Amino acid sequence: MRTWIIPYMEQHKGRMLLTVLVGVLGVASSVMLLFISGYLISKSALRPENIMIVYIPIVAVRMFSISQAVMRYLERLIGHDVILRILERMRTRLYRVLQPQALVLQSRYKTGDLLSMLSEDIEHLQDFYLRTVFPSILSLFVYGVFIGVLGLFDWVFALMMALVLAIIVFVIPFISLLVTRRKYIALKKGRNRLYAQLTDAVFGLSDWIASGRIDSFLSDYKADERDLLEIEKRMKRWQHIRSAVVQLVIGIAVMAMIAWAGSQAETGQIAPTVIAAFSLMMLAIADALSPASEAIERIPAYEESLRRLHEVETVDHPVSAPQSTTAICDANGPAIDLQNVSYRYTDSKEDVINGMTLTIDRGTKVAILGRSGTGKSTLLKLLTGALQPTAGNVFINGEQANQSLLAKSLSILNQKSHLFDTTVENNIRIGNPDASDEEVLEVVEQAQLTKLLGSIPSGLKTQMEEMGHRFSGGERQRIAFARVLLQQTPIVIFDEPTIGLDPKTEHDLLQTMFDAAKEKTVIWVTHHLAGIEQMDEIIFLEEGNIVLQGSHEELLATSSKYRALYEMDKGI
Amino acid sequence: MKRKKGLPSYPGSRSLYASLAFLILVEACAIVLQAIFLGRSVTFLFQGATVQEIWTDLLLFLLFFVMRHVLSHVQQLLSERFAVRTTKALREQLTASYFKLGPRFAQTNGTGRLVTLAIEGIEQVKTYLEITLPRMIRTFIIPAVLAITVFTLDKLSAIILIAAVPIIIIFMILLGMAAQKMADKQYKTYRVLSNHFIDTLKGLETLTYLGVSERHEGKIARVSKRYRKATMKTLRIAFLSSFALDFFTSLSIAFVAVGLGFRLIDGAIFLLPALTILILAPEYFLPIRQVGTDYHATLDGQIALEQIESIINEHEETTVPVINSKIEWGSMSKIAFNEVTVSHDEDEKQILNKLQFSWEGNGTIGIVGESGAGKSTFIDIIAGFLQPTSGLIEVNEEETSSLIRTDWTSQIAYIPQHPYIFPTSIKENIRFYEQAATDEEVERVIDETGLRALVEQLPRKMDTQIGEGGRSVSGGQEQRIAMARALLSKRPIIILDEPTAHLDIETEYELKQSMLRLFEGKLVFLATHRIHWMKEMDHVLVLKEGSIVERGMHEELIQKQGVYVELIRHHQGRGGEL
Repeated sequence: MRTWIIPYMEQHKGRMLLTVLVGVLGVASSVMLLFISGYLISKSALRPENIMIVYIPIVAVRMFSISQAVMRYLERLIGHDVILRILERMRTRLYRVLQPQALVLQSRYKTGDLLSMLSEDIEHLQDFYLRTVFPSILSLFVYGVFIGVLGLFDWVFALMMALVLAIIVFVIPFISLLVTRRKYIALKKGRNRLYAQLTDAVFGLSDWIASGRIDSFLSDYKADERDLLEIEKRMKRWQHIRSAVVQLVIGIAVMAMIAWAGSQAETGQIAPTVIAAFSLMMLAIADALSPASEAIERIPAYEESLRRLHEVETVDHPVSAPQSTTAICDANGPAIDLQNVSYRYTDSKEDVINGMTLTIDRGTKVAILGRSGTGKSTLLKLLTGALQPTAGNVFINGEQANQSLLAKSLSILNQKSHLFDTTVENNIRIGNPDASDEEVLEVVEQAQLTKLLGSIPSGLKTQMEEMGHRFSGGERQRIAFARVLLQQTPIVIFDEPTIGLDPKTEHDLLQTMFDAAKEKTVIWVTHHLAGIEQMDEIIFLEEGNIVLQGSHEELLATSSKYRALYEMDKGI
Repeated sequence: MKRKKGLPSYPGSRSLYASLAFLILVEACAIVLQAIFLGRSVTFLFQGATVQEIWTDLLLFLLFFVMRHVLSHVQQLLSERFAVRTTKALREQLTASYFKLGPRFAQTNGTGRLVTLAIEGIEQVKTYLEITLPRMIRTFIIPAVLAITVFTLDKLSAIILIAAVPIIIIFMILLGMAAQKMADKQYKTYRVLSNHFIDTLKGLETLTYLGVSERHEGKIARVSKRYRKATMKTLRIAFLSSFALDFFTSLSIAFVAVGLGFRLIDGAIFLLPALTILILAPEYFLPIRQVGTDYHATLDGQIALEQIESIINEHEETTVPVINSKIEWGSMSKIAFNEVTVSHDEDEKQILNKLQFSWEGNGTIGIVGESGAGKSTFIDIIAGFLQPTSGLIEVNEEETSSLIRTDWTSQIAYIPQHPYIFPTSIKENIRFYEQAATDEEVERVIDETGLRALVEQLPRKMDTQIGEGGRSVSGGQEQRIAMARALLSKRPIIILDEPTAHLDIETEYELKQSMLRLFEGKLVFLATHRIHWMKEMDHVLVLKEGSIVERGMHEELIQKQGVYVELIRHHQGRGGEL
C-alpha cells in the first residue's frame, strides 16, 4: 500500500484532484437539478403574475441537466487518463525490478506464471483507483460540502445530519471492511481449494478414469464446493444487510430533512418554496454517498496483489556483481576456462557445482549431458554470469564471466526462447537492431528459413501471431536461432533446443545449427545422443562434477557405460 | 462468439421469472406510493401545514421507501438462490463432461483453460444470472407502471418520458456502433500495445540472454504511453454512449420540470401531482440506466455460458456402448479392431483409416510412426479415452463400438509422458488406484520400481508431500511413481504413450530396465519415437497415415527394408549404418 499506491497518488495529485473535482461538480449538478426543479414548481405553484420570476430557474434547470452529463463524462475520461498514466509508471517500475532478476527468477518460483500474475496485479490496481479511491474521496467531499452548506442555515441540524450521514460514510464502510476482510480470506481459501481440486481432476484425468474413482472425486469436490457456497452466501447476506441499513438511514435522513424544512418554513427562516427543493436535493445527495461502503469493502481484494508486488521488490537478489578482483587471463586464451569452480545455493548445504575445472578451446564443440539435478543448469548460469561462483573463477575469452558478456562474447538458444508478438524480422533483429538487411538475410539463410519465409506472402514481415500458431515448434526454434546468429558471438550455447520436437525435426534442426555454427565455440546441453557424433568432446556430469569426458570415439572405446547408452540410443 | 438472446431457461427458471415479475410489480407500486406520500408531505408543508400534521404522511413515505428496497432485496435473494442452484448443477455437469471426454480432449482444449472455465467461467455465469435476470425484467415492468401513473396525473409529462426512451436507445446504438467501428479499426495495433507488457515480461529471460533487457526499459515506457493515447482515443468515443444516456435522461427530467412549471403557472395542474411526477421522473429512468452499467459482466457471462454448454453438449454426443457381458483380460483373451476409423469433424481427414488389428494373449506391442501417423489416436482408443467414428472392436466374444467402458478401463494402467503427480504424499500417489493397499505392499513396489533412493532421502519417507506445493520430483521419478501405481494395482494391461523421450539418456536407460520387468506377463501397448524400445517388443506396429503399414518383430521388419527402416533412417539421420 505504502509503496505501490501512495507515491502514485502524490505524483498525480493534480490530475487526481481534478478528477474528484469534476466528479463533485457532476454530483453538484444533479443535486442542483433536483433542487432547482423543486424550487421551480413550488414557485410556479404560487402562480406568479410575471413569468420572468421563474425564468432563471428554468434556464438553471436546463443548464444543470446538461452539465451533469458533461461532468460525468469528463470525470470518467480524466479518471481513466490518470490511471493509464499510473499504469505507465508501474509497468516501467515493475520491469526495472524484474529485469536484473530475470535469470534467477525461475529457480526461485516454481510456477512460471509469476510474471503474468504480476502483470495482472498491476492491471488489477487500476480498479483500486476507479472503484475505491475515486468513489470514496468523492463521497467524503460531497459529505463535507453538504454538511458545510447546511451549517450555514442551521448548525444544530447540520450537526445532526452529519451524525446520521456519518453512518453511511464512515460507520458502515468500516464495519463492512472488518466483516468482509475475514470472509474474503475464507472465500479466497475456499476458492483456491476448489481450484486445486479441479486442477487435480483435469491434469490427472486419465488416472481418475483408470482408477474408477470418479465418483469419490465428485463427492469430495462437492463437499468443498458446499463449504465455499456457504461462505459466499454469508457474504451476500452481509451485503444485503449492509445496503438495507444504508437505505433505512437514507429514508430517515429524507424524513428529517422534510421535517426540518417544514419547521424552518413555519418559523419563517426559509421560504416555503424551498421545502420541496431541500427534500428532493436530499435524495440526490444520498445517491452520491451510498457507494462509499461498497468502495471500502473492496480493499481486501487488492491486498494480495499489493503483497505480491511488494514481495518481488523487496527480495534481495543475488545479482551478478562481478567480483572486484577481476583477474584477467590471457586474452588469446581458451574460449571458456573454469578453474576449480564451486557453487552453492544459499539455502542449501551441498555444492551444486563442486570444484569443477574445464577448459574449452576456441572453435571446439562440446556436448554436456547429465541427469536432472546434476548441475547442468547451474553451470550454464555460471557461464552466463547470472550466478557468480562461490569459489574458483569462470573466464569467457579471458574475461571474468558476467552478464555484460551476453550478446558480446556469447549467446544462448534455450528450449523455450520467447518469440515476441511482432514480425519475424523484428524478432530476429531484437538482439542486434543495428544489423543491415544483408546480415538479416544471411542469418535467415543460415537458419534455413529462406524457403519457408519465401512461401508466405508477407515473408519476413509476417506477424508471429499469438503464441505463434502460424509456425511449428521446429520453425519457431529456427527463428530464435537466426536471432542468436545475428548477434555474431564467438561462443554459442544450445540449451536443449530440440526438446519436445519429433526425431526428424530434431535431426534437421541440429544439422542446421551445427552447420551454421561451424566457426564458433559450441556448448550443447542435450538429454540424448542424437547427433552426438559431430561433437569434439562429450562431458557427463554427476553430482556437480565431470565424471566422463572425451571424444565420441574415445568414449566408445573406453567407457562401457557410454557404449551401452549409445547402443540403446541408436536403437538398432 | 454467438450469444443467446432472451432469458435463459433452466429448471426452476419459470417460477422464478413469475415471482420476480410479481415482486417487481409490487415494488413499482411501492415506488409510486412512496413518491405520492413524499409529495404530500412537501405539498402540505408548502401550503402551510405544521410538521405535526404531516407525520402520518412522512411515516407512510418511510414505510413505502423501506418496502421498495426490501422488495428489491428479496428479488435479488431469489435470483441469487436460483443462480447458485443453476451454476452448481452446471459445474457438476461440466466436471462430469471433462471425465467423459477424456484426457486428449483436455489436452487439445488446454487444461488450464478448462480449469478456469469451471471456476471463473461458472462465476461469470452466476453473476450474469443474478444481476441480469432481475434487471431485464425490471426494465420492462417498472418504467411501464411509472409511465402509466404519470399518464394519469399529467399526459404531457408522460409523453416526454416515453418519447425519451427510443431517443436514448437510438443514440446509444449509433454511438456504440461508432465506438465499435473505431475499436475495430485500430484493433490490431491496440492488441499489440495492450499485450506488449505481458509479452515483454514473458520474454524477459530471452531478452536478458540477448543482452538487450536493459535497453528495453525505455521501450516499455514508450509503448505504455502509446497504449494510453490509443486507449483514451477509443474511450472518448466509447464513453459517449453513457454520456448520451446521462444527457437525455437529465434533459428529459428538466423538460418535465419546466413543462410542469408552466402548467402550474397556468393553473392547469396542482402542486401535488406535479411534485409526484418530478419525484417519479428519475425513478422512471433508473432501471434503464442500470442495464447499461453491467454490460461487460453480462457479456462475459453469456460467453462463458455458451462455452460451458457446448462442452456439455459435446459430452452428450459421446455414447456409452451397450455392455452385454463384462470384458476381462487374461492370458487367453483376444482383441480385434475391425475397420476402426477416426475422422476429424472439421476437415473430414481421417486420423485412423479403417484400421485392422488383432492380438491374442499377453505380450508387448510397440507402436511407431512419424508424427501425425495416428499413434496417439490408436492409444486413445485402446485406453478407452476416445470413441471411434466408425468400426467395431471385439474383445473376447464381446463386440463393442468403443472401449469407453468401466469394465475395460478398470483393467488398464495408463502411463503418459508426464504422469500427473497429485499434491499429496508419495504413498497416496502410489496407492491412487489401489487405496486398500497396505504399507508393506507400497514399500515393496517402491523397491521394485527403484524409488527407494528417493524415498530414503526424504524427511518423512513415503509420507512426504510431493507435487505442486510439496517437493518437486524429476521426470524420471514421475515415471517411476506411475510405474509403482501400475504395479500395485496388478492390472493386466499397461498402456504407455511416449514414456521416456523427454528424459536424459542415463535416466532413460535405467528406467527402461525397470519398465521391461514390469511388462512381464501383461498386455502392453507402447507408442514412442524412441525406436530402441522396439527391440524388446514382441510385436511392432508401424503406422502411416492412419493405417498399419507393417507389422512383426523388430528383426523381421529390419529385413523387410520397408517403411520401418526408412523411419529409423529419418529419425536417426545416421543413414548408412544399417
